[in-house]
Amino acid sequence: MSELENQFYNVYEVFSKKTDKSPFQHQFSLLAPNADMALVMAKENFFRRETVADIWVVKRENIRGLTQGEREMLKRMDKNYRETKGYGYLKKKWRDYNQEQFTEKHIMGGREESR
Amino acid sequence: MQAGLRFEQLTNEEKHQHFMERINRGEKIEADDWMPDDYRTSLIRLISMHGISEIMGALPEKEWVPKAPSLHRKLAIMAKVQDEMGHGQLLLRVAEDLMAPLGKTREDIMQDLFSGKLKFHNVFHMEAPTWGDAGMIAWLVDGAAIISQSMMLDSSYGPYARALKRICAEEVFHAQHGESIILALAEGTPEQRELLQDSLNRWWTSLIMFFGPKSAKETGNSNADKNIMYKIRTKTNEELRQEFFTKYIPRIWALGLTIPDETIHFDDDTQMWIYQDVDWSEFKQIVSGNGPRSQDRLDLRRRSYDNNGWVREALAAQKAI
Repeated sequence: MSELENQFYNVYEVFSKKTDKSPFQHQFSLLAPNADMALVMAKENFFRRETVADIWVVKRENIRGLTQGEREMLKRMDKNYRETKGYGYLKKKWRDYNQEQFTEKHIMGGREESR
Repeated sequence: MQAGLRFEQLTNEEKHQHFMERINRGEKIEADDWMPDDYRTSLIRLISMHGISEIMGALPEKEWVPKAPSLHRKLAIMAKVQDEMGHGQLLLRVAEDLMAPLGKTREDIMQDLFSGKLKFHNVFHMEAPTWGDAGMIAWLVDGAAIISQSMMLDSSYGPYARALKRICAEEVFHAQHGESIILALAEGTPEQRELLQDSLNRWWTSLIMFFGPKSAKETGNSNADKNIMYKIRTKTNEELRQEFFTKYIPRIWALGLTIPDETIHFDDDTQMWIYQDVDWSEFKQIVSGNGPRSQDRLDLRRRSYDNNGWVREALAAQKAI
């Protein structure tokens, strides 16, 4: 049985959405021999109480995640140049020229940005 | 880490240093992250013991499903038994991912349980002969478990912390289910109050033992210190036991129950509860499989595993086609 069982179980990752409007969210993983059993186990393990609008089960081997090395690289990625907070130092510079830095509103031609 | 150097190219010492920096910053370690071998083995020991205790813990309560005093009580205790098995599933999954690099699976966990290599909580080796015990388990055993589990909600190991978050949310129901049984008995007939007092007498020593010995002196080894160093846990066994006393002793007394320890009192000078320590060699005996119900419950687990073997075989055959 042992050898058989080792090949028998697959790890499935379980995702679900709470309501029709919410995005899918990772819940946890489980062991199951096939996708149908994985769905049964998912309901049993994670939705005894919680309401749920939809469930996905995905075989873990079909997910390409980042390696630890790749995750470490993300931490070192500086994206400030893509955002206004990367340009905060301009305020002081303009003061040296007796000028106020334009706010977002000024740059947008005086219109409030619609959100 | 040196700038520009890829993580995979670090030496083991550098990886170890990077690992310690991460946990000291409060970062969470994931299953596929590099980790020191003794961090991995500590986690496997802790989490497989925790997971299997959830499953073995469902057994004394399961005995009360057919005997519950009303339909409502039967539904509630069934829900609790179901939760405990669910918690076992979550925790075994966390342990399995840690064991995978060692070539081990759930089957190994089960076999280690059957052979006695893998231990489970002392409380689940004990008898639960009355309905008062069903209440006492849910109120005080789960109460003790909540104290030790909530301490680890911020554990350095991410998957364990996430599993505990799900588990603790359900433990609140368990504690209230226990309070409901206890209060009904406490407000009942003299016989019911006596039943409750007997149950407390029966469980008190096991509850003291639940948190484990104060230090390595009592049982010869202590994994608690290493687990604190690795931020898997944050408090010592004794700190947790004292928290348990502070939380529950006033309530036990408020119900007019007597704690079977004449020496127990709160010492204002040391701000600690003084209590009669237990015989830790007895604790060792119990968790080694020599408690009053250890072998019965292991047999039940073995039988259930064997009896359900046909389901696994049928599904495996279907898979092979």
